[in-house]
Amino acid sequence: MLETITKALRDYKDDQELAVTEQTTFEELELDSLDVVELAMKLEEELSVTIEMSDDIKSVGDLLRVLQAA
Amino acid sequence: MIKTPVTELIGIEHPVFQGGMAWISDAVLAAAVSNAGGLGIIASGNATAQYVSEQIKKAKTLTAKPFGVNIMLTSPHAEAVAQVVAEEAVSVVTTGAGNPAKFMKLWAGAGVKVIPVVASTALAKLAQRNGAAAVIAEGCESGGHIGELTTMALVPQVCDVVSIPVIAAGGIADGRGVAAAFMLGASGVQAGTRFLVAKECGVHRNYKDKIIAAKDIDTIATGKRLGHPVRSLKTAFSREYYAKEISGSVADEDLEEFGIGALRLAAVEGDVKKGCFPAGQISGLVTKEQSAKEIVEELVAGAEAVLGVATRYCV
Repeated sequence: MLETITKALRDYKDDQELAVTEQTTFEELELDSLDVVELAMKLEEELSVTIEMSDDIKSVGDLLRVLQAA
Repeated sequence: MIKTPVTELIGIEHPVFQGGMAWISDAVLAAAVSNAGGLGIIASGNATAQYVSEQIKKAKTLTAKPFGVNIMLTSPHAEAVAQVVAEEAVSVVTTGAGNPAKFMKLWAGAGVKVIPVVASTALAKLAQRNGAAAVIAEGCESGGHIGELTTMALVPQVCDVVSIPVIAAGGIADGRGVAAAFMLGASGVQAGTRFLVAKECGVHRNYKDKIIAAKDIDTIATGKRLGHPVRSLKTAFSREYYAKEISGSVADEDLEEFGIGALRLAAVEGDVKKGCFPAGQISGLVTKEQSAKEIVEELVAGAEAVLGVATRYCV
């Protein structure tokens, strides 16, 4: 799952070298709340799941956990 | 008369919302707009639940028509205000600065129609999925907190991804703007700056005078560096803020600190030096103080006139 998120992030940022860990925050990636919603909805579509979107999704790890719980 | 899915949805005469402006939109202004056939909206901003409760009760004594409450989701009192809105069974709640998902069930149970303000298509889709009755697509021409996209670009793109009604906001202050919003696919509009100078608006006289005197290029967007840009009138405060913002030597915390309380200073004290005066790019079109009724009627009549000749270039 982390690989899927990493790929989505690299595509989104158009940077295939982008370093991503569970601890990476979206702020560090210079992504704002609109970007996070956009990204999460792309992942929902790709993984055919529906997640509980919340303002508490601040890091890659946060997104990973809500996707795993979906 | 202009009848749209928005007038049907809310049970109002005209598809015109008055924007919820923190420290500005109170019960008196909201009730005046609702009595004029539009939808008045009380702004909760960072106010306490008790203040919002009092304003709702007051509005109910001033109008029997539907009105709304705007909740800024980043407010420390958002949870308590959300509860008050449900308890008082307010007709409409509009939300800004976040995702209202966690309150949707509470409001649905109380029969409150939820209309989030959205700044992107993804947020609009999310709002629809969570049960929103409509969305307000607000472009960055508007005053206060803004997104990246303009109304012209945002509204049609939002209309294409949702099936619920879309209300356009940002840069609308006369009938031409209302008609243009309909052409973009919206079925309602929200105006803030135009209603700020309404006779029933209790904001400080200096604020109204500054809006009335403003030209097209008199607003500036600041705060992007902190992630929450705000459009306001160019003043001593906003120029200094902007200088600090682009200066590499001012820390984010200090910039944040500099902005605290500036909105209250503008709206309540009328402090033209230290106050922050949120205003839309359309301020130049706002040239006189009128009653809420006159404003609503002008917006609608103006739109009807423009829409009536909308096909004149079609051959």
